[in-house]
Amino acid sequence: MLYDVTLKIGYDYPDMADVGRHLVRLMPADLPGEQRAIAGVMSVRPQPQERIDRIDFFGNRVTELFFDQPHESVVFEVQARVECLTPGPQFDMSPSLTGLADEIWAYRNVGPDSPHHFTGPSDRAPIDRRTTGYARSVIDAKASTLENVTAINRALHRDMRFDPDATTVDTPMLEAFERRHGVCQDFSHVMIACLRGIGVPAGYVSGFLRTIPPEGEERLEGADAMHAWVRAWCGSETGWVEFDPTNAVLAGEDHIVVARARDYSDVAPVKGVLRTAGAHSSSQAVDVVPVA
Amino acid sequence: MTMQGERAAESSVERLLAGYRRLEDVPDELIGSDGAIRPVWTDLIGALADMETDELSARMARGDQYLRDAGVFYRHYGPQDTVERDWPLSHMPLLIDENEWNGIAEGLIQRADLLEQVVADLYGPNRLVADGHLPAPLVAGNKEWLRPLVGVTPRSGHFLHFLAFDIGRGPDGDWWVLGDRTQAPSGAGFALENRIATARIYSDIFSRLNVERLAGFFRDFRDTLLDLRQSDDSRVAILTPGLHNDTYFEHAYIARYLGFMLLEGEDLTVRDGRLMVRTVAGLSPVSVLLRRLDANWSDPLELNEASRLGTPGMVGAIRSGSVTMVNALGSGVLETRALLAFLPRISEALTGERLKLPNIATWWCGQSREREHVKANAARMTIGDAFATGLPFDLDELSVVGGAMSGEGKGAVEAWIDANATRLVGQEAVTLSTAPAFVDGMLVPRPMSLRLFLARTHDGWRIMPGGFARIGHSTDTPELAMQRGGSVADVWMVKSGPVDQDTMLTQPVAPFVRSQPGVLPSRSADNLFWLGRYVERSETMIRLTRAYHVRLAETAWPDAPLLSDLAGYLVLFGNEPDGSFTESIRTALDSASTSASNVRDRFSLDGWLALTDIDKTIHRIASTATPGDDLARGMGVLLRKLSGFSGLVHENMYRFTGWRFLSIGRALERAIAMTNLLARYADPAAPDGAFDLALEVGDSAMSHRRRYAVATNRETIIDLLAIDPLNPRSIVHQFDQLREHFGYLPGAERHRPTTELQRVMLKTHAALATHTAETLDTDALREVGADIAALSGELDRTYFR
Repeated sequence: MLYDVTLKIGYDYPDMADVGRHLVRLMPADLPGEQRAIAGVMSVRPQPQERIDRIDFFGNRVTELFFDQPHESVVFEVQARVECLTPGPQFDMSPSLTGLADEIWAYRNVGPDSPHHFTGPSDRAPIDRRTTGYARSVIDAKASTLENVTAINRALHRDMRFDPDATTVDTPMLEAFERRHGVCQDFSHVMIACLRGIGVPAGYVSGFLRTIPPEGEERLEGADAMHAWVRAWCGSETGWVEFDPTNAVLAGEDHIVVARARDYSDVAPVKGVLRTAGAHSSSQAVDVVPVA
Repeated sequence: MTMQGERAAESSVERLLAGYRRLEDVPDELIGSDGAIRPVWTDLIGALADMETDELSARMARGDQYLRDAGVFYRHYGPQDTVERDWPLSHMPLLIDENEWNGIAEGLIQRADLLEQVVADLYGPNRLVADGHLPAPLVAGNKEWLRPLVGVTPRSGHFLHFLAFDIGRGPDGDWWVLGDRTQAPSGAGFALENRIATARIYSDIFSRLNVERLAGFFRDFRDTLLDLRQSDDSRVAILTPGLHNDTYFEHAYIARYLGFMLLEGEDLTVRDGRLMVRTVAGLSPVSVLLRRLDANWSDPLELNEASRLGTPGMVGAIRSGSVTMVNALGSGVLETRALLAFLPRISEALTGERLKLPNIATWWCGQSREREHVKANAARMTIGDAFATGLPFDLDELSVVGGAMSGEGKGAVEAWIDANATRLVGQEAVTLSTAPAFVDGMLVPRPMSLRLFLARTHDGWRIMPGGFARIGHSTDTPELAMQRGGSVADVWMVKSGPVDQDTMLTQPVAPFVRSQPGVLPSRSADNLFWLGRYVERSETMIRLTRAYHVRLAETAWPDAPLLSDLAGYLVLFGNEPDGSFTESIRTALDSASTSASNVRDRFSLDGWLALTDIDKTIHRIASTATPGDDLARGMGVLLRKLSGFSGLVHENMYRFTGWRFLSIGRALERAIAMTNLLARYADPAAPDGAFDLALEVGDSAMSHRRRYAVATNRETIIDLLAIDPLNPRSIVHQFDQLREHFGYLPGAERHRPTTELQRVMLKTHAALATHTAETLDTDALREVGADIAALSGELDRTYFR
């Protein structure tokens, strides 16, 4: 499936922002076998004094920007063409949760895709007895890892309410979980915490969703802004599988990956250190259109 | 002891050691297993035994005095509060003979090389994990393994340049490594101070014994750091978390000793991949950082985003190869406690050699066989956080000394271990050798561990021939930590032959010939400026307070208009009404001390002591003196002390740029204070006696009598205190001073205004100069006040941002 993605993110600083250095992760990823980044350009206003493109530890594209003049606003605009390759049929070769623990132990590697990065708590996705308890109530010890992850994906969609006004980008995962509401970021962090709590390595994916669904299908939640979903490691045979708990689906041809890591903190679209006295406001507009 | 016919000496030694009882099954540093004094101690013990009690305590007092005078302290973190504590010097040094020392050095150098190989692998190919020598969870789950640094090769080619090790002697008499300090090892500066203090106590004995000196080690290390620079125009600096760190004193001390700038994260910025320090003369490159800041805090952009201590872009600067970190960011991963379980085998795998110095036996509970071993032997172990970086006796909240849990039953311990397996390690409970310490004038054995330092020089690793020993305050090993009341002793490495007499003791900086030309970081300039302002402000406050109490003492009528007006004026500066009016003085002096602490690396010891003394005096006066005559006299004492301080600073300080900022602060504050004073007390509507008050507070009563044949009136006061350039108290005199100083600041020229600051100054000066005593009324004075405020703002924009 071929898409044209356009994104515009703006920040306004009524009290002027001083010197600032930012990390930006907005460009669709190039993932051999999964997704092809055919073309893409990111423009930034005002013009930054420095711009460095590189790849971070987890293999994501990141751009470092430096503004050395005071400014009232920053605008990022991305235009990209991406091809999402059709995933092959998913046969369940995954072990039970006990078997999974042995497979993790046997995995002697700490490269970017290693499950070891994704087993413990992280800043935004701590392991907590409440989320772990919830996960345990959903799973079946005799089932395969993939079945159990699928069950948690469905359960969260059933039990949590999508509400764009209930949480902010800084709402702690547990608060969103206790109130059973939030947006894709909250759904994803809750699911990651649930999975890690029962020993399944889990990470965070940021990206885009197709804006208008194919005819006869329902529109997915989260298509009007950047989206987030979850990846779970289901054993050495099956590897990483991506789930979208906000929509209770497997992430597939409608999901365009920008970055993958442990949680939001690792892949925040715009992360920065600004010297500014006052508050700021931001806006975001996304369009993901299939190319005929 | 076999000294012939020296019965008297023998019995005095017996007296000295009367309370010294070797603990059972524990080796002792002083007394061998045969019950005799070990040879390396013979001379020192003999000399001590010959001393009268009075002499010994006088000597110890000399050492303590040195530490107090030098202002050596560390910050103690208590449950409720944080206080600065005196450095807990143990007056008895620890002696180690050359042969034993060489064995330790060999073992530590082997270990340093091994650690370098391990860290290079952890940030490089990760063969240790792939080959099964190190479990992946200990790397991937480790907060000190910094992902942004993976794949980044240090510019110098090495991750480690300066290391500390804690070692102790176990029950079998062999030395054991208790912990590796690889992140930002502390204590080298304290070791130096310990040495100076201890050498004062034992001056004659010290020079008689062949104790290896420390200066050569530091000189080598300094030269190595200078050679690590990218180019000759870039700098070496020391990066500190700042004033609130427990060992900030040491950071400032080392900076002064080595002659490097002491910087905080906000002093630095990154431009085009280069690390730069913000100075009053603009950005200047820094290419080597000896850091005392933990890596996670060093860059809020790529590491801990909550850090306010770091420099955004620091990791990027390292990635682009423009800066060498001593030690590399990420090397803290080597301090992980669980790593001790794997190092022995890693050593054999990587080098084919066994560790010459074993480390304390450690088992990681993430492995099933090891877990079972820990469970079975829990009673003899300390079980704690696998990822902790502290020492075995620095018990953290997770730690449990096995024996302590036996009451809860074996099952509870085992369940706890099973539930937290990957997070736990078991370590053999440590019993360390004892060394002599003075307790109530008697020598007694106390457990001890050593902290030793290694620096990478051109000739490879070099060990500091000394260090310090932590001495427990009871016979329990866990009481070793300084935060728990232990003390710290100097370590003497005693050679069999004569040693090099490096003269570090008398002239700390003397051995260092090479020096980098000075630059002044903007933050230091800012602090010096405010130091000048606060000291001047306290003088103004003292003079006002004295004027009040003098009048109070002389009058029978406390509600006299001038007195109550002055009381009202004093309240404006933050004083309590109807009190001693000393709060504003204390506030100003406390602020002065804080500013001085922030630039302690640039501030003379005498200046510091004078300031501390003034601070003590005001607190004493404020709490004991009564209003009226008593307080008036107290203020007189303070004024004299303060002028002593001003003399030290303003007359004796080298005229470097920092001194300019200090003087600018003083002149600016003085101009503001005088403007306010005149606006209130030279006003025609002011109460009776106000003119004389203004003269008195302006310290110009005598000049007035000599200069004017008439009684005080508004015009003579304004003339003398505002526009007479020859009066060092006048406003215009401050302006003259400021103009002069501004002409010497970076970017300025002396004889024509080239900076915006100079232009604003010129306008302000001109505006005042057009006035006569008649036209400079209260409104005009307020305009002058506004001009001065604008001047201060421009100064800030130009030099302190």
